Amino acid sequence: MKNGALFFLGVFGAIALSWGGVVLASSHQISKIQPYYDTLESQFYPYKQAGIAAEGEQVYKSMGCAACHTQEVRRPGLGYDDLRGWGKRQSVARDYIYESTPPLGELRRGPDLTNFGPRAVKLGLDETHLLTQLYLGSAGMPPYRFLFERQKVIGEPLSTALPINAGPGYQIIPSYHAKALVAYLLSLKQDYVYPEAQPLEPAKEGTN
Amino acid sequence: MTATASTASPVPATADVRPVDTTARGALLLQLTFALLWLLAGGTFALIHSIQLHTPLFFADFSWFTFGRVQAVMETSLLYGWVANAGFAASLWLLGRLGGAPARGVGLTVVATVFWNIGVALAVILLIAGNLTGNALVQLPLGSLPLLLISSAIAASSAVYAWADRRNRETYATQWYAALASFVLPWFLSVALTMLALAPDHGVAETVAATWTGQGLLLLWLAPLALAALYYLYPKATGREVPCYSLAKAGFWLLVVFGPWAGTRELVGGPFPAWIPALGVAASIVLLVHYAIIAVNLGPVIGQFFGRSNALRFGALSVFFYLVLGVAGLVCSLFPLVPWLQFTYVSEARTLLMILGVFAPAMFAAIYFLVPRATGKPWAAQGLITQHFRFWALGVLLIAVGFVGAGLQQSTLFFAPNIQFTQIDPTLKVWLLLTSAGLGLQLIGTVFLLVNLGYQIAPGASTLEGGNS
Repeated sequence: MKNGALFFLGVFGAIALSWGGVVLASSHQISKIQPYYDTLESQFYPYKQAGIAAEGEQVYKSMGCAACHTQEVRRPGLGYDDLRGWGKRQSVARDYIYESTPPLGELRRGPDLTNFGPRAVKLGLDETHLLTQLYLGSAGMPPYRFLFERQKVIGEPLSTALPINAGPGYQIIPSYHAKALVAYLLSLKQDYVYPEAQPLEPAKEGTN
Repeated sequence: MTATASTASPVPATADVRPVDTTARGALLLQLTFALLWLLAGGTFALIHSIQLHTPLFFADFSWFTFGRVQAVMETSLLYGWVANAGFAASLWLLGRLGGAPARGVGLTVVATVFWNIGVALAVILLIAGNLTGNALVQLPLGSLPLLLISSAIAASSAVYAWADRRNRETYATQWYAALASFVLPWFLSVALTMLALAPDHGVAETVAATWTGQGLLLLWLAPLALAALYYLYPKATGREVPCYSLAKAGFWLLVVFGPWAGTRELVGGPFPAWIPALGVAASIVLLVHYAIIAVNLGPVIGQFFGRSNALRFGALSVFFYLVLGVAGLVCSLFPLVPWLQFTYVSEARTLLMILGVFAPAMFAAIYFLVPRATGKPWAAQGLITQHFRFWALGVLLIAVGFVGAGLQQSTLFFAPNIQFTQIDPTLKVWLLLTSAGLGLQLIGTVFLLVNLGYQIAPGASTLEGGNS
C-alpha cells in the first residue's frame, strides 16, 4: 500500500459504515419503541422508576452491583433462567425504555435480579430482611456495612434499627442509601407480557 | 519495506540504530515508564479483584473497594493506562523505524502523554469515588473523557508524522496496524464522549453503542498494536521472512472491514433486536479468515515458545492467545454454547487475556528488542528477562486455566436448580485461587522489567553518545 490518503479513507469508510450500521441503525430502531398501552387495564407498561427506588438505582450503579448480578432474562430454552425461576419470559428492549445505561450485567456471581421484587414477596423477604442481609452479607456476597451506621442507643432503640445484636447499648441504623437500594431491588420486575415477549412454543419433536 | 531480517542481538550495533531512536528517545522512555507503572497499578487492582472472587470479605469494609469499583478501576488502568501508553510508544517507535525519518512533534507528544496520564488518573479517582458508567471496557467517567480525547489525538500526532515522513512510499504490515490503532483510539473516545457520556441514548440502544465501542477498541486498537509489534519482530528476531506475506494485506482489511461489526456478538440472547447480535456473529465467522491469515503469517513463531530468544518466546505467547481468543470470541456466541458460557468467568477471562495474554507479551517482546536501540545500552540483567518471561507465561496460563475451569464448573452448576445460586461461587475457590496466583506472578514479572528499565533510563555509558544519528 503506497497511497496514504486512500489507506486512511478506506479505514475511515469501513469503520464509519459499521458505526452507521450498528450504532445509528439500532438507536433509530430502539428509540421508536413506545410504552405499551393495555386497553383492558387502561395502563401503560413498563412503569417508570420513581421516588426512592429511582435513587436506589443510582446506588446500585455506583456500588457496581452489576459486576455480579445481571438484569436480563433469556428466553425459556436458552439456558437455565426459567428453571431458576428468574422470569417466565425473556427480557425485551421495551422493558428498558425509561432507563439510561440499563445495568444488564455480564457475569452471574449472584442471581439475576430482573424480577427480584415479586421473587422477594414470594419468599417473604421484606425490607428489614434485605437490609439485614445487606449488612451481614451471605455466602459469596460481601457485607455492605459502610451503608449502615452503628449508633449508641439513647433511650429506646430506633424503629429503623436492624434486628441484630450490635453490642450492648448499640444499634445498627441503615443509611438512606441502603434503604434506597433495597427499595430499588424490591421494585424490580418485568412481569407484564408484551406481544413481542411471548414465549415461543417449543418445537414439537419430529416437526423440526 | 520487505520482510527481510536482521538478527537481533542484546547489544545493538550502531548500524541498527535509526533516526527515530535518538530523536524520540525521551518520549519513548517516558511513555514506557508510564505504561509499566500503570501495569503495576492495574495488575495490583486485578489481584485485589481476583482475591475478592474467592474471598469476598477482602476490603469489604471500604466503599471505595467494592467488587464493582475495583473491576472498573482494574479495567481502566490496564486499558487506558498500560495499553494506551505502551501503544503510543509502540506506534511512534515502529512507524518511526520503518519510516526511516527523524521523529517530529516529539515535544507535543510528551505534553500530550503527560495530560493523557493525568486524565487516566482522574478517571481512576472518579471511579473509586463511585462514578461508574457501567459500560464494559469504556468505564471512563464524563469528567475525564474530554481531556483523554484531546490528549490521545495529540499523542497520535507523532505517529501520523512518522507515517507521512516515511522515506519509502511502500508500507509494511506493521505500519498499517500501527496507523490503524493510532487512528482508532481518538475516534472511539469521541464516540464514548458524545454517545455514551454527554448524550447517552436511552434503553438498550446505549448498551449497543457501548458494546460497539468497547469491543471495537479491543479488536481495532489493542489487537492491531500487538500485531504491529509481532509483524515487526518476526523477521527481525527469526532472521526469516514472514511466510506467505502477500496474504497480510487481506488479513488487515478483513479486520478493518469486519472487526467493527463483530463486537455485538456479545449481546446474543439479550434484550435486543435479533439482527444486532446476528450481525456480530456473522462478522465473527468472516473474521476467522483474518485469524487464519495471522496463523499462516505469524503462527510459526509459536514453535519458539521453548526457544532461546526471549523476544520470540513472548511473541509465541501473544500469537497463541490471539488465535485462541479469536476463535473463542465466535464460539462463545454460538447458540449451542451460549447457555453454557454466557455470564460465566469464561467471558471475564477473555477480556483479561486479551490484555495480559495477547497485548502484554507482544509489547514486552518489542520493549526488550527496541529499548537498547534507543538508549544504546544493553539490558543490565539478562537473567531477569528470562525470569520475567517465566513468571509472565506461567501467570497467563494460570489465569486462563483458573477462569476457564471456574467458568465451566459454574455453568454446570447453573443448570442444577436444586443447588442454591448463592452457594455456587464458594465452590469455585480452587480455580479462582489459581487465577490469583497467576496475577501475583505477573506482578513480580512486571517488577523485574521495571528494574531493568530503570537501569536503561538511569544516566550511564551509552554506545549512542557522540551523535551517530
